[in-house]
Amino acid sequence: MRLVLERFLLGVVVLFGFFFIVLGVRWLVDPSASAIGLGLAPQAGLGLSSQVGDLSAFFLVTGLSILFALTSGNKLWYYPSVMLLLAAAIGRTIAWLFHGAAFAPLLIAFEIGVGLLLLLASKTLPKQE
Amino acid sequence: MDKPRYLLATILFVACLTKSVFAPAQIGRPNIIFLLADDLGYSDIEPYGSEVNTPSLSMLAEQGIIFTNYHTAANCAPSRAMLLTGVNNHLAGVPNIPETFTPEQRQSKNYQGVLGDNVVTIATLLEDSGYHTYMAGKWHLGSEPNKLPSARGFERTVALMDSGADNWEQRPYLPIYDQANWFSDGERYSLPDDFYSSRFLIDKTIEFIDENLDDGKPFFAYVPFQAVHIPVQAPKENTEKYLGVYDEGWSKLREDRHQKAIDLGLVSPQSGIKTMSWVLDWSALSKETKKYEAKRMAVYAGMIDAMDFNIGRLIKYLRETNQLENTVFIFTSDNGAEGSGASEPNSFLSQGIAGNLGYNTNYETLGEKGSYNSINPGFTSAAVSPLSFYKFYTGEGGMRVPLIISGETLGENIKFSPSFAWATDVARTVLSLAEVEPAGARYRGKAVLPMTGRDLGPVIRGESSRVYSNEDVIGYELTGHSALFKGDYKLVRNQGPLGDGNWALFDIVNDPGETKDLKQNMPDRFQEMLGDYAKFEQDHGVLPPPAGYSQLRQMAINTLKDRLEIPFLVLILSFLVVLPFFVYAKFNKRQ
Repeated sequence: MRLVLERFLLGVVVLFGFFFIVLGVRWLVDPSASAIGLGLAPQAGLGLSSQVGDLSAFFLVTGLSILFALTSGNKLWYYPSVMLLLAAAIGRTIAWLFHGAAFAPLLIAFEIGVGLLLLLASKTLPKQE
Repeated sequence: MDKPRYLLATILFVACLTKSVFAPAQIGRPNIIFLLADDLGYSDIEPYGSEVNTPSLSMLAEQGIIFTNYHTAANCAPSRAMLLTGVNNHLAGVPNIPETFTPEQRQSKNYQGVLGDNVVTIATLLEDSGYHTYMAGKWHLGSEPNKLPSARGFERTVALMDSGADNWEQRPYLPIYDQANWFSDGERYSLPDDFYSSRFLIDKTIEFIDENLDDGKPFFAYVPFQAVHIPVQAPKENTEKYLGVYDEGWSKLREDRHQKAIDLGLVSPQSGIKTMSWVLDWSALSKETKKYEAKRMAVYAGMIDAMDFNIGRLIKYLRETNQLENTVFIFTSDNGAEGSGASEPNSFLSQGIAGNLGYNTNYETLGEKGSYNSINPGFTSAAVSPLSFYKFYTGEGGMRVPLIISGETLGENIKFSPSFAWATDVARTVLSLAEVEPAGARYRGKAVLPMTGRDLGPVIRGESSRVYSNEDVIGYELTGHSALFKGDYKLVRNQGPLGDGNWALFDIVNDPGETKDLKQNMPDRFQEMLGDYAKFEQDHGVLPPPAGYSQLRQMAINTLKDRLEIPFLVLILSFLVVLPFFVYAKFNKRQ
């Protein structure tokens, strides 16, 4: 049973890793559509530079860290992804509480959920010898 | 008075005199307001025989000149390219809208569907000659940073980049757009909550003019309305004025407008009128369908009514700020009325498309916020009365539209002109009014194409009855639909699905309805004009579409390709990123 659960967790973590990489690459290839997907107005000039640079970095680092964790078996590699996702959830909450941003419960729940899932993976998935 | 005091007094007097000469906009070069309707048919406004109440345009027509034989491109962006540059649209890079090109056509630098860098807009020329230049409305000539109106000579802008959009909110009207792309002064722009297109565009125009009211410089304001492009939407109070007006149907309306055009002297009493074979028989429709169709048309009329009302607000503002007497208005449409509205708007397919975009087509709220409306080919045939065909076709209904040039500075001249006029002439006429020369072979250090449009000034002033001789040739092509104007004659070929693909020859002065094909009676002229057309195609780099081409199908293919291309690229690149990890994991496992 434990083995099945571990394999399931491994599959889910692989999918999330790939998903974040796709999001990161999409920011590099098609920033306008990516911005609209996140409820952002596509920018021009310096705004566009920041959107593409910062957001592609966020998603690529999240995804790559997961893949590094999976291939190296070193649980420390999960932590950058966990920190990024949980910090994003905290940031969204602060934006809602103090800056008049829209409350985004689904996105906050997703970020916390995936962050916790990765923490669980760091504890349970098999380590490299 | 001692010498220094005398000198000072003289300087002050000269300064005051100079200020009084240059400060008020009323003196010197005129302000120019270019009002461009979208998809407005030949007889859609009162001065051209419409029953729609357009007092502001009637007033402008009363004080100006009506061109009864003015022609433009058969669709939007090509027309706008000519109107703003005075250069043929094929040479200016806009043979059609970009979504419609075949892959082969896209290889040509002229077939990009955005305004080329080889042409100069009149806004640039006017700005460089000391005019303020404003734009509020639909641009549709390119949305890359160097193609935006703010990069093409307009000092202040609020502009829609797409072929159309919702009139009540920031929302796309076709599935080819992710969003309605509005820009202001080069930056993305969010529409206000109380947006209604015609009101908003005039508000912005007034705001722009007001900002520089006292600096003494004249202005050029370009106001390309969304009215009456799909989605046809109007404030309820405007629509309600026309409920019941269209209950007798489109055939009666087409006849009435033809008669009115004769009575007004716009067309010859002998002019014929063709029944468009694809138009449904009104009398065969059910009572419910008639009621629905009549309301669709009432909303269309309401949208024109609302546009006119807001033009009236602009005129009132200019009068109150003492600028009206030195302002020249140009009013026209980018092409003829659009007839691609669904014949059965309540069919599953039509409702599915509207529903997919989040719209409804309910009778009760037709034309209001959230409603998707259009007119079908029946009422379009009335909108272009007494002409044949409509938008996208080279029949007169697609190409002959109203043109009014009006202003107190133009003086008391003739009221009607049957002179042939072409879209490029508008640009040249604007420059002439502003006393600005067209660009030479180079402008701002770049080689540019010469303006070919002609100044309509001599006709406006009554000095000449025409600006084109019987030997001058104007050619035009859109996806294989073709036309060539020479003297009183027009060589024309309309492709499918509505046209038969054959050439025909018409005397468009005496037969604007294109009812009598003269090619058998005038074989020499017919052959001569065919030769002229072949030369036009060659000189302008026209690339005819392949056999069996359909604009709608090509647009669907291109949209699908554009939609899938990027996701495919993203997936490939993502796999490439993941690949080293996969290889490493496999390799490690074997070890």
